Amino acid sequence: MSDYTSKIKEISERLLKEEKVEIIIGFRKGTVPMMNEPCFVKTPEDVKELVWDSNCGINLANYLTGRKEKIAIIAKGCDSRNIVTHIIENKIKREQLLIIGVPCKGMIDKNKITSMFENEIMEVSEDKENITVKGEGFEKTLNKNDVLQENCKICVHRNPVIYDELAADLIDEQKVDRYEDVRKIEAMSPEEKWSYFDDLLSPCIRCYACRNACPLCYCPTCFVDESMPQWVGKSIDPVDTRTFHLLRAYHCAGRCTDCGACERACPMGIKVRLFTKKLEKDCLELYGWQAGLSLNERPPLDTYRPDDPEDFIK
Amino acid sequence: MKDWKPRIVGFLCNWCSYGAADLAGVSRMQYPPNVRVIRIPCSGRMSPKFILAAFMKGADGIWVSGCHPGDCHYMEGNYYARRKFALFKNLIEYMGIEPGRLHFSWISSAESTKFARVINEVTSAVKALGPRKHGIKTMPDELVKSKISMAK
Amino acid sequence: MRFITIDKNSWANGLENLYGNYRLFGPVKNNNQHFFKELAKGELPDFNYLNTRLSPKSLVFPQTEIMFEFSLDENDEQHHILKEINKDYSPRALIGIRPCDAASFMLVKRNFDTPEYKDNYWLHAYESTIFAGLACDNPCNTCFCTSAGCGPFHEDGLDLLLVDEGDKFIVKILTPKGDNFINSAGWETEADPTASEKIIAEMQIKAEEKIASSVSTDKLKNKSTIKLYDGTFWDDIAFACINCGTCTYVCPTCWCFDIQDEVTRNSGIRIRNWDSCMYPLFTLHGTGYNPRNTKMQRVRQRFMHKLKYYVDKYGDGIQCVGCGRCIRLCPVNIDIRKVCDIMNNYEG
Repeated sequence: MSDYTSKIKEISERLLKEEKVEIIIGFRKGTVPMMNEPCFVKTPEDVKELVWDSNCGINLANYLTGRKEKIAIIAKGCDSRNIVTHIIENKIKREQLLIIGVPCKGMIDKNKITSMFENEIMEVSEDKENITVKGEGFEKTLNKNDVLQENCKICVHRNPVIYDELAADLIDEQKVDRYEDVRKIEAMSPEEKWSYFDDLLSPCIRCYACRNACPLCYCPTCFVDESMPQWVGKSIDPVDTRTFHLLRAYHCAGRCTDCGACERACPMGIKVRLFTKKLEKDCLELYGWQAGLSLNERPPLDTYRPDDPEDFIK
Repeated sequence: MKDWKPRIVGFLCNWCSYGAADLAGVSRMQYPPNVRVIRIPCSGRMSPKFILAAFMKGADGIWVSGCHPGDCHYMEGNYYARRKFALFKNLIEYMGIEPGRLHFSWISSAESTKFARVINEVTSAVKALGPRKHGIKTMPDELVKSKISMAK
Repeated sequence: MRFITIDKNSWANGLENLYGNYRLFGPVKNNNQHFFKELAKGELPDFNYLNTRLSPKSLVFPQTEIMFEFSLDENDEQHHILKEINKDYSPRALIGIRPCDAASFMLVKRNFDTPEYKDNYWLHAYESTIFAGLACDNPCNTCFCTSAGCGPFHEDGLDLLLVDEGDKFIVKILTPKGDNFINSAGWETEADPTASEKIIAEMQIKAEEKIASSVSTDKLKNKSTIKLYDGTFWDDIAFACINCGTCTYVCPTCWCFDIQDEVTRNSGIRIRNWDSCMYPLFTLHGTGYNPRNTKMQRVRQRFMHKLKYYVDKYGDGIQCVGCGRCIRLCPVNIDIRKVCDIMNNYEG
């Protein structure tokens, strides 16, 4: 990963020196294991802060919304797809952006690794495919592929789809079954489904981290904050919580790139991607659509075909 | 339970299905009285929030009806609606609302017979499922009883 | 000061004795995380934990609390009258609360219990609760309690302190409430105060040595509020923030709430919910004007409140007990330790 970091620094420094951009959006080293902090860099001297490793799971497209200056942004596969979506939705202009693409081998799952050890983890380091976890009285090396974030495990767009510079050579894409978990739920009876999601959502504290971590959620007033009419109650009634999650997901229909930002952000470890993945699967099956791959195609809910499937309509 | 009558909310497009309801009425057609009709300007106006709000407040079934593809008063509202409905219906059924609670149809203002037929179908489908078991917002007085205010 | 020891073999038995007299709450493991929950009869608190994922503040200050009920039905004689709700304020015991979390109740009390205003909901719940603390001998790497006016064996806010000593607990009884609690459980093996004090002091030193991180707060009080407010570092700190409410919801010392009426058909309730200064809605005026419209302003408010305004108002330290939850759970790694140090050393 250190070669990624040095290449990113090199490109960033050049862009700033040549005044091609005013600001670089990237990551700096976090203060706790397995966390990096999104940051900006404005001078060539500060470029040294930038890092790249397997803890850069936050989707940086989230930090582009409405910005006015000329920006260089570091983008892995999913980030780049969300940048495409941002451009399509007029949240940023392509001309403003210099995209430093990072072919991504996946981000590691902090919750998963934490839950593997009884004791507190003090330090996590990585070397190619190996993740070394150290804590009081233990040290263990894990295979990175075993501890990837769920969305990274099944990622089929690891290379950036749009970029101006590259931080490393492009890598092979995976061929995987993306929807096994969704199919499992689809096969349940309505009653089972209902209680499955009741259990899934019961820890929710309505902090809205899932919504705010999502680069797609930029409405000036979110539906949960609307008061005339008030669509969703603000207490922790499970019906309100479920409605929030359902509508949050539906707002991402045809736009979600399964970057996993929502799930990563959840302080309670709820698998909120299960909602958006269902929509993603349907968009693919019904309309042959995958979000954020092209600047020239309209997203599925912003267009139609006269012969769209309608066997559910009487 | 014998006396239970389903409450169904029907969202009907002003330019077609709503007219069909009028025509069915003046033609003295018989159909079950369980649908409360809300007039909307176009099926494209239909927001998923309307459906969720009705379900949260206790509707047993919901029925949305608009113009046949190609007949939209606003040229393409129903084409957009069709995609929204497809994804939305799948999503709420995926989360545990029974198929048979949410219905869609295309009915032109001349199709009073189809209107009566669909309302029959919708009503009997919802009747077959019985009252909703989940997802209705708790009434305030029940919340008070359940002591939500104590520790979670 | 009275000390007793509880043989771990008689632990379950004592809790069983308490069960009828107190509602018992303790840490319980669920999905790899510990949470404070009401214990069912026979259920034991699980003490094998670093700290609970959420703070126990909700046991006294619930995330959603009903204040009044009312009817809008004009046939009802009492329509449009707000009516109090009967609540269960029978004695409760929080068993195994960490000293940092217990200390947080003392900070929060300053807000809910002032000479001018008393928040009866909070106060009643607080007064009906026994705080049975569990000394902390294995702190997390994000803990900085010792430099936040607190510590792994801190006694403020506790009625008794349990110290785990292998096959028994040494219990330091701190208040008459704690005394009643212990008597009601039937634990009565008296321990020698001097010897117990000595053992606890040794363990305390060891535990405090383990706390690896700290914040510097010594200069905050003398800093100019305006200079800190106008500090040049805020843009950098706030950049990553996504304005979720995680930090405030998991914080044991965040006390803000919002009051709402919820009406369904003809009946309604007035409820209060936790609110968060991270949300734009927190300060939105009825006119549409929002004095804290940008995320930098909101992030600044949170840290200025905890680390400057509070320090100035009460004069005895920061509004933080160093539990480290906001550091562990912030999705974008904004670290209060770093911010506190920047503020403390800022010479703008």
